[in-house]
Amino acid sequence: MFVVKRKELSLRERLFLPEIARALGHSLRAIFKPKITRQYPEEGLPTTEVTRGQPRLVVKEDGAMACVSCGLCEAACPAYAITIDGQETDRFIEREPERFDIDMLRCILCGFCEEACPKDAIFMSDELELADYSREALKYDIEKLKRPKAALQKRIDYVYRINERWRSSSSTS
Amino acid sequence: MTKIIIDGVEIEADPKQPLIRACHDNGVDVPMYCYHPGLSPVGSCRICQVEVKQGEMPPRIMVACKTPVAEGMIVDTRAPKAHAARRECLEFLLKNHPLDCPICDKAGECDLQDFAFAEGQGEGRSVEPRRKLDKRKSLGDVIVLDEERCILCSRCVRFFEDVTKKPQLTVSELGSRSTISTFMDRPLQGNYQGNLADVCPVGALTLKKFRFQARVWNLEKHFSTCGECSRGCSITVEILRRREVKRIRPRYNPDVNKWWMCDVGRFAFDRFNEEERIEGAAVRDAQGRLVETGVSDALAKAADILKVHPSPAIVASPWLTVEEGEVLLALAERAGVAAAFVAPPPNDLADDLLHTGDPCPNRRGLVELGLAAISAEEALERIGAGKSAILVGERVVELLGEEALEDLPAALRLIAFVRHPVHAPATNVCIGVPTAVERTGTWINVDGGRGPIAAARPAPPNVRPLTSTLAALAELIQRQEAPA
Repeated sequence: MFVVKRKELSLRERLFLPEIARALGHSLRAIFKPKITRQYPEEGLPTTEVTRGQPRLVVKEDGAMACVSCGLCEAACPAYAITIDGQETDRFIEREPERFDIDMLRCILCGFCEEACPKDAIFMSDELELADYSREALKYDIEKLKRPKAALQKRIDYVYRINERWRSSSSTS
Repeated sequence: MTKIIIDGVEIEADPKQPLIRACHDNGVDVPMYCYHPGLSPVGSCRICQVEVKQGEMPPRIMVACKTPVAEGMIVDTRAPKAHAARRECLEFLLKNHPLDCPICDKAGECDLQDFAFAEGQGEGRSVEPRRKLDKRKSLGDVIVLDEERCILCSRCVRFFEDVTKKPQLTVSELGSRSTISTFMDRPLQGNYQGNLADVCPVGALTLKKFRFQARVWNLEKHFSTCGECSRGCSITVEILRRREVKRIRPRYNPDVNKWWMCDVGRFAFDRFNEEERIEGAAVRDAQGRLVETGVSDALAKAADILKVHPSPAIVASPWLTVEEGEVLLALAERAGVAAAFVAPPPNDLADDLLHTGDPCPNRRGLVELGLAAISAEEALERIGAGKSAILVGERVVELLGEEALEDLPAALRLIAFVRHPVHAPATNVCIGVPTAVERTGTWINVDGGRGPIAAARPAPPNVRPLTSTLAALAELIQRQEAPA
């Protein structure tokens, strides 16, 4: 038979008062240390250009969509989150999306759409928050996805820089 | 038959055929732009160059589309010299070809894109800007031409020369300004313009109706048969997201339509995309309104009507398949009457190429089964003479005329197997039927050839096949008669 013999506590240990005082000392010292918790959601998460948030569509400086609804992001999307219908326009670039839906509940933020896009029209923004009261509201349509180019500029520059590095390392000619 | 060697394999080839045909028939892939099996070869694009050794001569680079097959030829399609020659041709073709693929409707089924991907180089060496031409030149009601994308293969020019025998297009201007144009920029004419978009190896000639509608890799392709005339051309029905018919294209069938089809059949898909239809069935209630019900209830009501008012006039649509015709005949036999189908008079679209002018795709099949072909007037007379009538099949209301049905006496009991609700006061029962892209069956064309039609998309859940609903009605009639 296995018997655990408890240690006899001394009077000092049985009082607990010195231990309480020691704990209060810890708390007192922590007050003056720098804070490591964040007051989310009042205080947002720090993002950089590497942050792969939700995909957003680029609106060029002239107000037109950069997207020509070629459907490559739709084809590349592993989660089948994107649905696109095209239409004709009178501009020099003859085609623009009539409907561009991303089902944010399906989106896995993989960034394949950004990689597939031949027209620099879709980029992973630094918007990360995704909460709403209904599923329908999380199926984002074209109006919810539009962002001016300036808002995405940091990410665009980053993607160009990364692509340049790829090109210089894999170039054969 | 002549014996030749292609890529080290000895094969037998037809000496009347060009070499490229022998290559393709034996599974050797040779690129082509200007060559089309249905058109006379010209050898203008030079992309099909292969190395050919004949007799004692040293091997030479030749275009496979203009070289006839000759005894003892030794062909090497993968020789380094041939490959280099093709690559250089491709570079010249791509020199002025815009990098439009994300916008271009042809992307995904484009020969230039495929061969550039397979054999071309990743980057262009040209430093000069590309030529600037008209990107939206309208050629009539059907086709729009993008001059920048055109590689001047002249397939479209030869299509009008060889197939319709009424030349309309030509290559005008010289050098880098060369474009495809009609005389005095007149719009294209005729019933076969849509084929230009199929014939064009790049995205230069596109259909106005399909322009920017869908990406081709999203289209589900289903083999079927055209139902706009009694020729019964083999077609491919292309469906977007399992719902909408986006495009109909001809499918190669050497006995019927070769590679072509007419514009009437090509653009006849709008009626498949109409939203309004009977899903399930509708019966007229005591207040005289058409109320939606289940198919079984509607069939029971129809059987009750036929019990009180026997020997109905049975009028079918000419779009009935042979299988549906057979079930309809069984129903007519059970009801003790003769069945007939409405055959509209020939239209003026007939030509010596494909269109027969007879709008009934299955006239021969139904007549051989034993259904009589009657005119709309005769059909209305038959319906008006009896106490009850059965209308069967899509478009039968359209052929009889909606106003004519409105004028029928309200005492008449009309049972309609139709797609759209029939609001005529005589209608008592409406049962929904699937359209030609939602059912399977066979049409027999004017020459007796069998044209299978296939379900390209699922019918709405409560729309049962016509064969099933007609057979169920026949059975109900019999069950009512049996105890008596």
